[in-house]
Amino acid sequence: MSANISALALSVNGLNKSYGSFEVLKNLDLELKQGSILGLVGLNGSGKTTTIECILGLQEANSGSVSILNHTPQKLHETRGKIVSIFDTPSLHPNLTVRQSLEHAKLLSENLVRTPQRVEELLGIEKYSTFKIKNLSLGNKRRASLAQALLGNPELIILDEPFNGLDAEGVDDILALIRRLNKDKGTTFLLSSHQLPYLESICSHIAILHQGKILVSDNIDDLLANTNHSILLKTETETTAIKFLEAQGDITIINKNSDGYLELSTKDVRSSDLIRQLVENQIAVSELVLKQASLGNLFRTLTSEESA
Amino acid sequence: MNGFFVALKSEMFIARHTLSSKLIVIAPALIIILQNLLLWVTTTGQEARDNLLGNTSFDEVVSTNAYGYFVDSMSTGLTILGLLLTAQAAYSFSYERDTGLVRHLLIRRVSRAALMLAKLAYLHLLALISFVVSLIAAYVFSGMFWEFGPIVEDGFELISEADILAEINTGLQLAMAPFPAAIAFGLLVSVCSQSATQAVTTALGVTLAVDIFKSMLGDYANFLYARFQPSLIDASYLQDVSRIVRGYSDVLVDEEVLQMNLWVPIPAAIIFLVVIFFAIHRKNI
Repeated sequence: MSANISALALSVNGLNKSYGSFEVLKNLDLELKQGSILGLVGLNGSGKTTTIECILGLQEANSGSVSILNHTPQKLHETRGKIVSIFDTPSLHPNLTVRQSLEHAKLLSENLVRTPQRVEELLGIEKYSTFKIKNLSLGNKRRASLAQALLGNPELIILDEPFNGLDAEGVDDILALIRRLNKDKGTTFLLSSHQLPYLESICSHIAILHQGKILVSDNIDDLLANTNHSILLKTETETTAIKFLEAQGDITIINKNSDGYLELSTKDVRSSDLIRQLVENQIAVSELVLKQASLGNLFRTLTSEESA
Repeated sequence: MNGFFVALKSEMFIARHTLSSKLIVIAPALIIILQNLLLWVTTTGQEARDNLLGNTSFDEVVSTNAYGYFVDSMSTGLTILGLLLTAQAAYSFSYERDTGLVRHLLIRRVSRAALMLAKLAYLHLLALISFVVSLIAAYVFSGMFWEFGPIVEDGFELISEADILAEINTGLQLAMAPFPAAIAFGLLVSVCSQSATQAVTTALGVTLAVDIFKSMLGDYANFLYARFQPSLIDASYLQDVSRIVRGYSDVLVDEEVLQMNLWVPIPAAIIFLVVIFFAIHRKNI
């Protein structure tokens, strides 16, 4: 049991937070295993940032408990730099230069593993070294924030909306960096975002937050394995096709969309098998598109079910 | 110390690389220099006119003694310093919260209490440095234009240099006594405000309002630390010292008021500190 607890970088139990009568977090439970990358997914206003702020002790929760690297949020400073967080709005002094910001961050890192010059190179901001933070673009401010985190060797990095304001190249750089730190140093990550394709490409675990509640939290492969693929089918013999499809136990007809496609949902059927079966049953297939199970599908399904 | 020294180093680092702290050190001294220059121009003109008219009076003796100008300079410098320190204290935490900088400190290395202690320590250090710089500026520039010495009229020493220095020493100590309370007040406003702009305007607004209305409070004003601070409507002991070192004998010193000057700022500062530490632990950051 104790081994299990120590393997958790973060454990949140029954967290509640209200602003007046508005409940932002409702009995929220969350676990983050050491060495994993957890994506906290949710719509705008679902409570992602509030969750992170409560975890980090920046906001006081109404009830519930949080253990982060075996410390309470109030004693987070005792982890002595093992936790680093980067927020949606980069938390940097606007009147310091990039290099000065990194020198300042050095004061807060106990185990320095890289020089400010090295992290500037790593993040491609060395040419902005003498620029004041207030003169940088949002993307470069975000890079400078991340550079601060890389001076030391943190065990847990919490990133709130890390992809906002970044161009495609910037996103690729951040994703590559997260992968590398996770693989080489075993750094644990908690990423909050609503940009699902990026999270899907990098996270080992996903927690879906909706209206202050965690709807599902699991390994991403297990989640996607249990998620249906969707198929778009266009046919001239629609009535016959619907009858045939309804007779198949493993295919569900969701609806007919405005472009005249039948939207189907299935777990196991392969598109080639489906086309063959349709043709064998005299159904003329004009077009068939298979959309693999994705985090986006899962998210939309779960959140629409919950809202309904 | 839960990150006290880390927070203090952080304060020093930011002070070294930004303008606001440097301004607090330099601004009172610059004002002092400017005041002495203007007074020198004025008194030189006055002296020339009196010489032409053949007037020699007690006022002339007084106007050539540097100690009076030195005390006036310090009074002006400390007035500016008091306002700047209150504003800086109000700005320090609220601005770092606005920019999110304080989050890094709290998450990585520093407890909230240690952060506040470091800010208080730093602001006091800043006050001390600024005071010393002001003192040097006042001494050098009043000594440059006028002459330090006892007040002598018709060969009779009205007040000796040792007495003058003792009075100045007492005056400066009493003028500095309310500064910890002023700093704590600024920091309290900083912790309780929603933004840096709100914090600075509130802290300065309240300070100036107290300055304006203190005369209406009568003897009750003696229970306000701000009553004893050199200010725009100055009622501090330095005003009396300014007249004493010029040899005026009509200065009535109330010992009870001097004692209150010494002791009232202490409980005020303690009350502010208690509220700061209570508020910082409940504050969303």
